[in-house]
Amino acid sequence: MVAAALSMFLVSCHEYEEFSNDPYGNFDALWTIIDEHYCFFDYKDIDWNEVGQRYRAQVLPGMTNEELFDVCAQMLKELKDGHTNLISSWDVSRYWIWEQYPVNYDERIIDEYYLNFNYRQASGIKYQILSNNIGYMHYGDFSSGIGDGNLDNILAYLAACDGLVIDVRNNGGGYLTNVEKLVGRFITERIHAGYISHKTGPGHDEFSEPYAYYFDPADDTRIKFLKPVVVLTNRSSFSATNNFVSIMKTLPNVRIVGDTTGGGSGMPFTSELPNGWNVRFSACSILDPGGNETEFGVAPSDECKVDMDSTDMASGHDTILETAFRVIGEMGNSIN
Amino acid sequence: MMETMRRWLLAGIFAIVAMLEPVVAVADSIAVAERVVRPVNSAFTFDMGGAQILDTYLTPIKYTGMGMRLGYERMQAMKFSPERWVSQMDMGVEYQKVKNIPRNHTMHSLMIEYQWGMMYRWRLTCVPGLQLMAGGSTRLRGGVIYNANNSNNPVSAKIHWSVNLQAMAAYNMRVGKLPVTFRYEATLPFIGAFFSPEYGQSFYEIYLGDRSGIVHCGWWGNRFDMRNLFTVDLHFGGTSLRLGYRGQIETSYVNNLNYHFFTHSAVIGVSGEWMSLRSGKGDVERARIISALY
Repeated sequence: MVAAALSMFLVSCHEYEEFSNDPYGNFDALWTIIDEHYCFFDYKDIDWNEVGQRYRAQVLPGMTNEELFDVCAQMLKELKDGHTNLISSWDVSRYWIWEQYPVNYDERIIDEYYLNFNYRQASGIKYQILSNNIGYMHYGDFSSGIGDGNLDNILAYLAACDGLVIDVRNNGGGYLTNVEKLVGRFITERIHAGYISHKTGPGHDEFSEPYAYYFDPADDTRIKFLKPVVVLTNRSSFSATNNFVSIMKTLPNVRIVGDTTGGGSGMPFTSELPNGWNVRFSACSILDPGGNETEFGVAPSDECKVDMDSTDMASGHDTILETAFRVIGEMGNSIN
Repeated sequence: MMETMRRWLLAGIFAIVAMLEPVVAVADSIAVAERVVRPVNSAFTFDMGGAQILDTYLTPIKYTGMGMRLGYERMQAMKFSPERWVSQMDMGVEYQKVKNIPRNHTMHSLMIEYQWGMMYRWRLTCVPGLQLMAGGSTRLRGGVIYNANNSNNPVSAKIHWSVNLQAMAAYNMRVGKLPVTFRYEATLPFIGAFFSPEYGQSFYEIYLGDRSGIVHCGWWGNRFDMRNLFTVDLHFGGTSLRLGYRGQIETSYVNNLNYHFFTHSAVIGVSGEWMSLRSGKGDVERARIISALY
């Protein structure tokens, strides 16, 4: 029995690959972690073997940590993924798509010309009733916890407005649970929120069947907003914000106005190299309710794509917000 | 659920011992009318030692460090056959703090466990003071391993129920004038069930409701655990000082995830036997005391 137990021990105590803490070992560890865990190789049509060979040729036995970091960072940029970072004690590598696009947001214009520096703030949400009786709220970080009581107060305050603008420009994401909590205030029945799929093994094609998930409305005792809603977006609306926009876009009383979001639909996991550097990468793919990838962003609603106009900005106007006013007016007219 | 498990375990152990009965004859010399007192052997222990953890859900890097455990063990001869059968209950809470190779990342492990079992006892007449025990036990163990550096995979949750083979050898002797009890115990889970997320599955997805493929039948093909315990009880009057070593091996490979958990700890504690001497049940002085360990 002991022999049998020991033989079984050898089976269950499965071998795993250990990499040395030198330039080649750390490079190979990074390449292998991404190779076995990254979830968008097929969607992005990336030949990771070819990428690995190309960058491994740049690794040298005596290279410094900074030099190795640069080679590894360049390799990760091939993934074109804002959720993929190499993190050392002196730098974080990144591929941030919004750096290539118009900013499309100026907080100062909103604060000075629309809010008159007079606004309320709760749970990381800045809100106020604008002079045209449109409610405005800016949620800048989905990592900021939202309390149900805070949302009740915010929406009660804005309840008399003709419509609501939810500004998530420059919101780089955060917790998906906050997405669920916020969406629940704009629906009256259970909605199909999307699909989620994860890797089931190290192969590039080893994925679980996409799992459909649903959001429920907030409790009946909670305050909801069911009038016209416009969500403002720019390329810095990323990750959980991208997810929020993809769900809100499917609601009949909601329009998306601004620029395409920054994407980032892969839920990031973290791993590490033998030298202690962290690597973050997209591990689980989250699809929109239509089953579509949103890794490269969610487009605005039809005829709602708009960029900030420099002339407008010079005169204290936010082109995207002004467009939202028009869209809410049109939505209100169509409802009436 | 624990009660049901206990009944099944009892039935299994009885069946095994029934087969062994003709081979090993053990005298059970309790007179029918004789009063039997079964003292409870209790021990409170504190373990401290080295730990090594690999959990590829969190990181492919092996972490090493220190760990500690607070434990309580209770042994007692069983009422229906006190000479032959011994029950054992063991519970503990343990914490490990381990670091990666460059020592810049830390993982914390916190586990709680409860184990109950019973063993058949043989007193070898050829070696006075030596007793051998064998039987089974069931253990429920759960907790979390937390890696603060991680984003959506910061925690690896662990829960494992097992049915175990268990064996013990105890030897009572004197070192000089000091009574001493040496004990070696091995516990080997052979079947059970345990939790593991899928290879790249987030706990958020499990929260959303995708719970397929996360509970597994544990057997020696996907999981091997073993526990070794060696103690020396130094009897100073009514209380004993317990010194020893505890080694834990936990390994699993399921959903392409590799998990190793090894500890080697020194044990220190106090133990003693406690008797319930209720009045009106006969002459206590004439009662026969049957200890579970000493």
